[in-house]
Amino acid sequence: MSAITQAEEANLQLDTQGFAIVVDGLRKRYGNLVAVDGISFRVKEREIFGLLGPNGAGKTTTVEILEGLRQADAGRAVVAGIDVFKAPQKVKSRIGVQLQASAFFDYLTLVELIEMFAALYERPIDARVLLTRVGLEDKASSRVKTLSGGQKQRFSIATALVNEPRVLFLDEPTTGLDPQARRNLWELAQAIRQDGRTIVLTTHYMDEAETLCDRVAVMDRGKIIAMDTPATLVGNLLAKGFRRRQVEREANLEDVFLDLTGHELREG
Amino acid sequence: MRNPLAVLTITAFKMYLRNRQVIFFNLFFPVMIVVIFGLINGNGNVSVSMGVVDNAHNPVSQIVLTQLRQIKAVKLTTGSLDSERAALEKGDRDVVVVLPASLGQGPVALPAFYNAGKPQESSAALAIMTRFVDEASFQYAHIQPSFTLNAQPVNSRNLSYIDFLVPGVIAMSIMQTGLFSVAFSFVAYKQQGILRRLMATPMRVPDFLMSRIVTYLVMAVVQMAILIVLGLLLYHLHFIGNIAYLIIVGFIGAAIFMAVGFTISGFARDEGAVAAIANLISFPMMFLSGVFFSLSNEPGWLQPITKVLPLTFLANALRSISLDGASLWAVRGELLGLAVWLAIALVLAIRLFKWEVA
Repeated sequence: MSAITQAEEANLQLDTQGFAIVVDGLRKRYGNLVAVDGISFRVKEREIFGLLGPNGAGKTTTVEILEGLRQADAGRAVVAGIDVFKAPQKVKSRIGVQLQASAFFDYLTLVELIEMFAALYERPIDARVLLTRVGLEDKASSRVKTLSGGQKQRFSIATALVNEPRVLFLDEPTTGLDPQARRNLWELAQAIRQDGRTIVLTTHYMDEAETLCDRVAVMDRGKIIAMDTPATLVGNLLAKGFRRRQVEREANLEDVFLDLTGHELREG
Repeated sequence: MRNPLAVLTITAFKMYLRNRQVIFFNLFFPVMIVVIFGLINGNGNVSVSMGVVDNAHNPVSQIVLTQLRQIKAVKLTTGSLDSERAALEKGDRDVVVVLPASLGQGPVALPAFYNAGKPQESSAALAIMTRFVDEASFQYAHIQPSFTLNAQPVNSRNLSYIDFLVPGVIAMSIMQTGLFSVAFSFVAYKQQGILRRLMATPMRVPDFLMSRIVTYLVMAVVQMAILIVLGLLLYHLHFIGNIAYLIIVGFIGAAIFMAVGFTISGFARDEGAVAAIANLISFPMMFLSGVFFSLSNEPGWLQPITKVLPLTFLANALRSISLDGASLWAVRGELLGLAVWLAIALVLAIRLFKWEVA
């Protein structure tokens, strides 16, 4: 990365105004593999920003760098007003993280786990209020391993909310969930954004990105190859003359499934 | 209560106490060993199994049998020479004595066969039989014994097997807790992504390590207390040790084995690997370090190895403190050995422990 001049430095500082995340020239390499190849993007405050791409595109590495869990080789990243590389611990206290397939301690109840997380942020919290917020008030004294897939993800999001984070990272939050649970999680994500938080979401489900995200960045081989609103990206493709072989019907099989089984959540 | 270290420690305790498997291996297992081994080697009662082949079938042989039956320590069986010898060869008898047909008709030799594989029992049986034969000879010859033994019970500090066993089992359970609890839980935390999730919070790593270490140290003290109280209540353990010394030595031992546990969790990929490695370390040591049996009978070539094992130092130091009331200065040799092991284990742990899955 070239040296940043003072003017550029000031410019970057200025540009973080109104942005929850500013990433500039981010690069990460594992041996010969360039996982993240000099990407730059900005996420606005209160935006739901989707990070899309095939497996191995560099999404998770990017997100983990922004979360302060990994060190980048080059570039800059400012998250919630904090320079991630200079103060990773400080960033951690301002963000919430839901990791892909993250587990929690066994032998503890949901309330005890929430209280433990709150203590790690050195914040007081009413665990039951938070559990009610994610619809798990009935499970307050249960253990994580007794939860359904959707409940686990909602609990995971609850632990990510204990510190009232400005930015919430959700890494494939709906993978493996049934259609009802997915929709339930979408509603939760939208409600969290309504509270004034910014959400960065990685997903393999394009319908999810289309429903939730204000803007998406498509990554491949460590680079961002497209970034815009879902509507604009679709519009651009159509403008190139793309037509589906089969014209979309008014409903699809998922609509049939939900019509048959209802929107109601199916879990204990 | 918002202090992260305090909350992490309380959480660690809750998790420990709610984990039945851990409670079984760390608390009930050592207790079971003490109870069972204590029962088997029970209260110093030596009992010998004696087979008598009565070829005489006369009043004299009847008297001999009746008198033998009155000796509490003798389990008497009678039978033919062939069946009794077969039982002896099988190991069911310690001694087989033959009462010849000529018994009671003048001086006679009593053939006796003993089990060479059970030297303690057979020598006790032979001693009983010798005394018996001597007395019969005196009576037969109408001789007044020149010496008689006037035995009086005195409560001496006669250390029993249980006195040997309890400090050994304490050492063993300290080893097991350190090795297995640390290695199992940290490998599981890593594998399941729990550590990764915690690292995404502002948690301070030393707080997390400290919360676990404190938990295991306290559990080591609890183990000691349970085993000592058990020994006192059930088996009249001769405990005269300084409890503070005991705890200090126990902590050093726990620190060594926790460091080994951290080391194992650094390169073991899953819990199966942890079980294999931890057992490979602890199992031979359990038997080579004189936890259950005294090492004085082991082959000479093995002694240089067994003498310097960390569990040997730990068991010996705990034993000296508990049973002889030794001071820390008196066990300085063992403490030095433990210090060397602690240094080695810490270096290994710092080098090999990783937060991420290998």
